[in-house]
Amino acid sequence: MTMSVRRDLLPGMLDMLVLKTLTIQPMHGYGIAQHLHRLSEAVIQVEEGSLYPALQRMRQRGWISAEWRQTPNNQRARYYTITAAGRQQLGEQTAGFADLLAAVSRVMEVA
Amino acid sequence: MSAREWLARLFDWSRREQLDRELDDELRFHRGQLERDAVDAGASEREAKHDAARRLGNVTRVHEDARDRWSWPWLDHLFQDMRYAWRGIRRSPGFAIPVILTLGLGIGANAAMFGLIDRMMFRPYPYLRDPGSVHRVYLQSTFRGNRQFWGSTEYTRFLDFKKFSTTYQQIAAFSAGATAIGTGEDAREFRVAGVSASLWDFFNARPALGRFFTAAEDTTPRGADVAVLGYGYWTAQYDRRDVLGQTIRVGNITATIIGVAPEGFTGVSDGEAPAAYIPITTYAGSNANQRDREEYYTRYNWGWLYVMVRLKPGLTAEAAEQDLTSAYIRSWNAELEFDGEGTPVAIAQPRALAGPMKTAAGPNAGLEAKTLLWVSGVAVIVLLIACANVANLMLARLLRRQREIAVRLALGVSRGRLLMQTLTESLMLALLGCAAGLLIAQWGGATLRHLYAQQGAGEGIVTDGRILAVSLVAALLAALVTGVLPAVAATRADLASSLKSGAREGTHQKSRTRVALLVVQGAMSVVLLVGAGLFVQSLDKVKDMRLGFDAEPLLLVNRILRGVQLDSSARVQLSRRLLDAAQALPGVSEAALVSSVPFWSTSSTSLFVSGIDSVSRLGRFTYQTATPDYFTTTGTRILRGRPFASADREGAPRVAVLSESMARILWPSAEALGQCIRVGSDTLPCTEVIGIAEDAVQNSMLDNDKRLRYYLPLDQYFPANGNYMLVRMHGDPSRQVESVRLALQGAMPGESYVTVRPLIEIIDGERRSWQIGATMFAAFGVLALIVAAVGLYGVIAYGVAQRMHEMGVRIALGARSGDVVRLVMGQGMRVAGAGIVIGLGVALLVAPRVQPLLFQQSARDPVTYAAVGVVLLLVALLASALPARRATRADPNAALRAD
Repeated sequence: MTMSVRRDLLPGMLDMLVLKTLTIQPMHGYGIAQHLHRLSEAVIQVEEGSLYPALQRMRQRGWISAEWRQTPNNQRARYYTITAAGRQQLGEQTAGFADLLAAVSRVMEVA
Repeated sequence: MSAREWLARLFDWSRREQLDRELDDELRFHRGQLERDAVDAGASEREAKHDAARRLGNVTRVHEDARDRWSWPWLDHLFQDMRYAWRGIRRSPGFAIPVILTLGLGIGANAAMFGLIDRMMFRPYPYLRDPGSVHRVYLQSTFRGNRQFWGSTEYTRFLDFKKFSTTYQQIAAFSAGATAIGTGEDAREFRVAGVSASLWDFFNARPALGRFFTAAEDTTPRGADVAVLGYGYWTAQYDRRDVLGQTIRVGNITATIIGVAPEGFTGVSDGEAPAAYIPITTYAGSNANQRDREEYYTRYNWGWLYVMVRLKPGLTAEAAEQDLTSAYIRSWNAELEFDGEGTPVAIAQPRALAGPMKTAAGPNAGLEAKTLLWVSGVAVIVLLIACANVANLMLARLLRRQREIAVRLALGVSRGRLLMQTLTESLMLALLGCAAGLLIAQWGGATLRHLYAQQGAGEGIVTDGRILAVSLVAALLAALVTGVLPAVAATRADLASSLKSGAREGTHQKSRTRVALLVVQGAMSVVLLVGAGLFVQSLDKVKDMRLGFDAEPLLLVNRILRGVQLDSSARVQLSRRLLDAAQALPGVSEAALVSSVPFWSTSSTSLFVSGIDSVSRLGRFTYQTATPDYFTTTGTRILRGRPFASADREGAPRVAVLSESMARILWPSAEALGQCIRVGSDTLPCTEVIGIAEDAVQNSMLDNDKRLRYYLPLDQYFPANGNYMLVRMHGDPSRQVESVRLALQGAMPGESYVTVRPLIEIIDGERRSWQIGATMFAAFGVLALIVAAVGLYGVIAYGVAQRMHEMGVRIALGARSGDVVRLVMGQGMRVAGAGIVIGLGVALLVAPRVQPLLFQQSARDPVTYAAVGVVLLLVALLASALPARRATRADPNAALRAD
C-alpha cells in the first residue's frame, strides 16, 4: 500500500539518513535506497535517482568515498563508504536533529 | 565551500566525462535491480520497466544535478577564451611579440631589482625562527657635534646589554671577517664568523653533522677551540665527508670540527655564507693583538661586533628603545668610570634602538642601499611605461576590430563577456611577458651581480619563490591595466555609428586616450633620462676626481702573523724583508710600507703647534707612516718642498709632509714649510714640515672628508706599524696578484701569510653607488625612451593611416607637402612637448630627494634638463617624420573618387 501524502524531507536530512545507513556497511546506491525504503516503512519516499547527486556532493565534501566493486551476483556497482569526516558530520547532524525534534514537539504540545 | 571541496570539484571537473559515464552505469545498475525486484514480485516485464522508471524518477534531472557537481561554467568559458586568445596571439605575431617583449623588459627589470632589494633588505635569514621579533641593536651618539650611528661595538658593551636590558628574550653577539683557513701556501682567506653560542638558539636549525657549540665553550677570556663548518665550505673542501673530530687551522687557532651547519644556513651574514663559525670569545681571545685579546671583555676600546636581540612578544619599538637606551646609558657610564675620561652622557646622548637585522633597511642605510631603492622605483616606472605602451597597442588592435566588436555587441554578446575575452588575452600576453621577463632577469642577473658585487644577488631568479610571486603579481597587474583600459574604451563605442561608418569616424575619441597614454610615457621617460643624466655626470665626476694617489697601478699587500711571536724589531725586519722582496720582483716599479690604507683605516694622535691653542678643534688630523718611496709609489704629488728620503731615519731630525689642506688650516697666512709641529706630545722635539703634498681621500669620497693628513717616515715614528705594503706595478696589477702573493709568501715565517689585492677594488667599492645609479638609470632611461618612441610612431602612423582620405582631400584642395607635414608632425610635437613639460616638472619636484645620492652634481642642473628635453624632441621628430612623409603621398584622385 502506498501513502497518498508525499512527505518531503527537510534539507540536509537526506544526507543524515544516507550517512547513518552507511555506518552499517559500505553500500551501493540501490542498497541505500532499499534500506531507507524498508526502514521507514515507505514513509520516506525519495525519487531514488535523486540519491546520486546527493552522493556526489557528499563524496566531494569528503564524507564518503566511492569505489567500484563486484556485487555478490558478480555485477559491477559503485560502493560508498563513510569516512571519518562523514562520521563526525553525522554526529553533528544527529545532535542538531535531536534538538530540532525536541523543540518541535515542545511547540506542538503547547499549541 | 571548503578548500577540500573546491579541490574535489576541480578534480572532478578534469574527469567529468568519466564521471558522466560512471553515473550512467550506476543508474543502469539501479534500474536493473528495480526491474528484477518487480519481476520477482510477479510483475510483467512492461510493468517492471514502468515501476522502475517511476521509482527512479526524472533521470535527466539526476544527470543535470550530478553534472552541476562537477561542472564549472566559468572555467569552461575561461578555456574557451584562452583558446580564442591564443589563436589571436598566434595569428598576429607582429602584435604579440613586441607586446611580450615590452612587458618582459618591464617585468624582468622588476624581478631582478626585487631579487636584489629583497635579499638586501627584507628576506629573512634561512632557518631564523620568528624573524619579526629579531632585531639588530643600533647605537647612536653625538661625537664632536655630529649625531651618528656606530657600526660595531665592544664585547664589554654586549655584556652590559645582556646585564642591563630587560626587554629581550634572547641576545647574541656576532662578527665576521676574512680569516685564513689552512696553512702555508695553501692558506686562503675565507669568511669566518665569530658568534656567541646563544646565536644558535635564534634558529630552528639542526646541524647537518655533529652539533653546534654551547655556552660552556663560549666563555671569557677565551672560548674553546672548536669550529662549526658552513655547509658550502664542507661540500667544497671535504666533499661532505665525516669530518667530526678533525682539526682545522682557522686564523690563529687550531680548532676541532664539532659540527656542520645545515644546507643554506648563513647565520646572520648578508652575502657570502661563512666557511666556519667559531665561538665569539675564541675569535676575540685568539686575536693577534695582545691588548685586544686580553682586554676585550673588560674595556671599551675595541669595537668589532654586533648585537642582536629577540624582543619579548608584544613589545612596542618605543618600549624596546627606551629599555635599550637606558641600558646603553648605564653601559656608557660604566665605560666612563672605567676609563676615567670620555664624553659625558649629557653631551653624547647615547641612544640604542632595535632595528631591522639588515643594515640596508636600518636607520643607517648606506648610499648604495638608497640608490638601489631609487633604481627599484625606476624599474616600477619602466613597467608602467611598458604597460602604457601595451595598452596603446591593445587599444589600436581593438580599434582595428571595431566593426567586429560592434557586430558582436549587436548580436547580443554581453559587454562583460567581451571584457573577459580582452582580459584573457592581456592576461596571456602578460604571463608570456612574465616568462620572457624572468629569462631576461636571469640573464641580466649576471650584470647586476657584477655591478652590485654581492654574492647570491641575481642568482636563481627563475627558481626563487619570492621573486616568482612578485613577478606574477606584476604580470597580473599589467594584465589588468593593459586589458581593462582598452576594453572599456573600445566597448563603450557607440554601436550604431560604428556599424554604419566603420573606421573613418568615431575613432577620434579613443585616440585621445592613446595620446594621453603617450604623454604619460613621454613624461616618465623624461624623468628617467634626467635621472640617468645626473647619475652619469656624478659617476664621471667621482671618477675624474683626483684621489690624491694613483689607485690603478697599485697592489695592496697585507701581512698577517700567525703562530709566531715576533717582537717589534723582528716585525720591522720582516716588513723590510717583504719590502726588499717586492722591490726585487719583475713587474714592480716601486713599493712602500704603510701603516694605513685608504677607506680601511686611519690613525690619529694628539698634535701640537705653537700659537694654536687646541689643534684638535680645527678638525681631525690623521697620519700615514710610510717608507721613503711612498710618494713615488702612490703617485701623490709633492707641491712644495721635498718628500722624505732614506736619510730621514731614526735619530735624524724628525720631518713630516703635510697635505695642502692641513697646511692651509694650520697656517692660513704663513708658509708651512719649515714650521714645527709636535706629534704625540708637546714635550717632544720639533717635527719639521719639509713638504706639502696634494690632498688625498681617506675615508670617504664625499666632501665631508676634510683630507687633513700628514705623512711621517715610518723609521722615525712607529717602525713596527708597517703592516701594509703598497706595490706599484708596471702592467695590469690584477693579473699579477697571484705571482706577487707567491713570491712574498716565501718571506713569511711559520704559518704567517700575506694577502694581495688590487687597490682599485677598494676604490671601486666606494664608487659603486654612483656606478649602480648611472648604469641602471641609463639602461632603464634608454629603454623607456625607445618604448616611448615606438609608441609615438605607432600612434601617429595609425592616425595618418586613418586620415589618408582627409589628407588626399586637403592635397586636392591645394595643400602643399609642407602643410601636410606640419599637420602630422605638429601632432607628434604636441605630444612630446606635453610629455617634456610634465616630465621636467616631476623631475624638478623629485630633485631634492635625489640630491644626497649625487656626487658634486646639482639635481636641478639646467643643462641636463635642457639636453633631455632636446633629446626627446628629436626622438619625437624622428618618430613622426616617417608617418608625415607617408601623409604627403596621399592620392588626391583616390580621395575624390571615393566620395
